[in-house]
Amino acid sequence: MADALSTTFAALADPTRRAILGRLAKGEATVNELAEPFRISLPAVSRHLKVLESAGLITRGRDAQWRPCRLEAEALKDIDDWLARYRRFWTTRFDRMDDYIAELKKADTKSKKEKRK
Amino acid sequence: MSATLADDELLITRTFDAPASLIFALWSQPEHFKRWMGPGSYDCPMAEFDFRVGGSYRAVIRSKDTGDSGFAGVYREIVPNRRLVFTFAWTNTGPSAGVETLITITFAEKNGKTVQTFHQTPFLNVEARDRHIGGWDSAFDKLKTYAETTAKEHRP
Repeated sequence: MADALSTTFAALADPTRRAILGRLAKGEATVNELAEPFRISLPAVSRHLKVLESAGLITRGRDAQWRPCRLEAEALKDIDDWLARYRRFWTTRFDRMDDYIAELKKADTKSKKEKRK
Repeated sequence: MSATLADDELLITRTFDAPASLIFALWSQPEHFKRWMGPGSYDCPMAEFDFRVGGSYRAVIRSKDTGDSGFAGVYREIVPNRRLVFTFAWTNTGPSAGVETLITITFAEKNGKTVQTFHQTPFLNVEARDRHIGGWDSAFDKLKTYAETTAKEHRP
């Protein structure tokens, strides 16, 4: 079974689903409202919504007639946190890369000087 | 917190005071790689590279606090001194374990200095990655604003 983060990323790895999320970022919407900008059928939109719902990216209202979809910020925050951890990791490594380059240059200058002697 | 939430995708650009051939060597040769991957807050006691397209690599970083963390991947594209593409995943257990990511690094040398762009995206397969490249940004622009405001509202 895939971990939660993989499920979230899989759900995001589709342009239609990202567009749906973009629309929901402006506020709640029904399936009909969400389907409007896309040239796809209502069942197809519903399938996308199911994927988003099982990834925890959206929730849907309980009313059988009016089931507005709502964006869930928590799942997005998990992704943000995940990217932030990687950013910290690589940024500190690249700082170290800088130091190491300086060390290599110093060693190189020293060996050249010794060769000249 | 808002600074963290502004990071919607990992793109880090750095200029190094060295030619591209050296920066490329720091990524492609284990003896160099180990020196900048560690030491610091941790060491890099192991790095093994089968440096060719389709070849795999693995490495371990060791920290006093968290012990050993392994990562591994496969080289996808190699253009010496210009471009390097490889997969990256942590091999231990943990929140990010098993989530495969794709790292794309480009090197551009000018006047003896090298601009390195480092790009990392999560993806589950190549098809999914190709679809989301270029499409990820705009959706996230909207989403991050939403996540930011909502996260603030939800905080006790």
